[in-house]
Amino acid sequence: MISMKNVSKIYVPDKPPALSEVDCEIAQGEFVFIVGHSGSGKSTFIRLLLRELLPTSGQITVANQDVIHMKNAKIPFLRRNIGCVFQDFKLLPNKTSYENVAYALEVIGKSRHVIATQVPEVLRLVGLEEKTDSYPDELSGGEQQRVSIARAFVNRPPLLLADEPTGNLDPATSLGIMSLLNRINKTGTTVLVATHDREMVDSMRKRVIALENGKIIRDQSRGVYGYGD
Amino acid sequence: MAINPGYFIRETISSFRRNWVMSLVAVSIIYISLLLVGAFFLTSSVLNTIVSSFEAKVSVQVFVKDGAVPADVEALQANIQKIPNVKSIAYVTKDQALARFKERTKNSPQLVEQLRGNPLPASVEVALVDPRQVQTVVNAIVKDPLLAKVVKNPANPTQSDIRYGQNVVDNLFKATGVIRIFAAAFLILLLLVSLVLIGNTIRLAIFARRREIGIMRLVGASNWFIRTPFLLEGVLQSLVGSILAILTLLAAQAVIVPWLQDNLKFLPVTIAGATFAQLAGLLVLSGVLIGLLGSGTAVRRYLKV
Repeated sequence: MISMKNVSKIYVPDKPPALSEVDCEIAQGEFVFIVGHSGSGKSTFIRLLLRELLPTSGQITVANQDVIHMKNAKIPFLRRNIGCVFQDFKLLPNKTSYENVAYALEVIGKSRHVIATQVPEVLRLVGLEEKTDSYPDELSGGEQQRVSIARAFVNRPPLLLADEPTGNLDPATSLGIMSLLNRINKTGTTVLVATHDREMVDSMRKRVIALENGKIIRDQSRGVYGYGD
Repeated sequence: MAINPGYFIRETISSFRRNWVMSLVAVSIIYISLLLVGAFFLTSSVLNTIVSSFEAKVSVQVFVKDGAVPADVEALQANIQKIPNVKSIAYVTKDQALARFKERTKNSPQLVEQLRGNPLPASVEVALVDPRQVQTVVNAIVKDPLLAKVVKNPANPTQSDIRYGQNVVDNLFKATGVIRIFAAAFLILLLLVSLVLIGNTIRLAIFARRREIGIMRLVGASNWFIRTPFLLEGVLQSLVGSILAILTLLAAQAVIVPWLQDNLKFLPVTIAGATFAQLAGLLVLSGVLIGLLGSGTAVRRYLKV
């Protein structure tokens, strides 16, 4: 599903790279945590897969497509196969929760009928059935995050990327979100979660890729959060 | 995977409504600029009618001596009619000339009372297709051998027997030419300035939403899917602005033109319906075009995520 070969990303020349010589393979249907302190390169990892960024060097393949040499016009088609939960949510400010989620279906040309049945269902799944007509600035951080999650998987993408999906949520909701991600994974979706939520990682016992200063320092199946701190 | 065109229309209208502050700014800028362009367009069209009416007054009068042979006068008229650029000729008899004089001086009847008999000559009045060519026409008339038989002073007919405002004509045409060029240049300048202004306003409105465009790209929207509602929104703003400007001009014209006609009776102040239709077309078309162009170029810049 995902293959990175010798990938480095340097934002500012002469500064330490955000990612340095990263190699990894993630198979279809896997559930993977990417852990590390802030600044360790987790977000860069996710943004490279979405082709929001280009690496400074190396090869990246997502869903059998060469992400680096992709034509600009092809990028939307790649992204339609990737649901992404953004750390800063990236909701459209002039659209309600419902419309934000519906947008992901509108871009792939789903009919209004399909949208009208799928969107409320997904919003109910993330516990936002009461807030369908609220605008992002009327929602709390946790609620915005759940809209972002709902938008990421409403079109059932084969790959789901999540950057700190439980960062703004209380423990109970976090648990709900994680079990939701688990269920999505059970239906065959590859799930990649960047997090520093120790309890979550330790309780789920999934594959863990640990990053430090842009390097993979540990990659173990059924791993734990690790780090002595 | 056909995209419902209804989606774009709903999307455009709701975006227009929800970004109402920016929409309002854009619409009012478009409205004010096009209003200025339109007002000046109409003013210069009125000016042009007035200028043309002055030019049309340029005609040639050939005075016929008393006792000229009627057959000669008729033959001369036939010859003049054949000169290129002559629109029409009219023969004014002595009696008609006197009647006109009375009409013109009806405020001071004592002038007419002092006349003994009818000292006014009959004349041939020549109207021209292009008043600027008056000198050529006069030269042709002077060359006609029949002229000598008909006028009082055949040796030098242009001194008193042919009248066409020799001195006035040149200056008049210089003045009207300058007025026309100035009006056209100013109109073009005004149009350019307002187009740039409108284009920039629309671009600013889109600049304010550049983050949204990036988000749309990240959730997999294709470029044209993002662009179309923005283009339609630019067109909608321009349409609303230009239609408001046209309505305002229509209302202002209905008040101002009659007032001018009342106060400037000696000038032909009118706006032809065709002129107004032309203006409406110009405003809507240039507005919509710049709306499309402005939003198109602005969106493209932020589609590079």
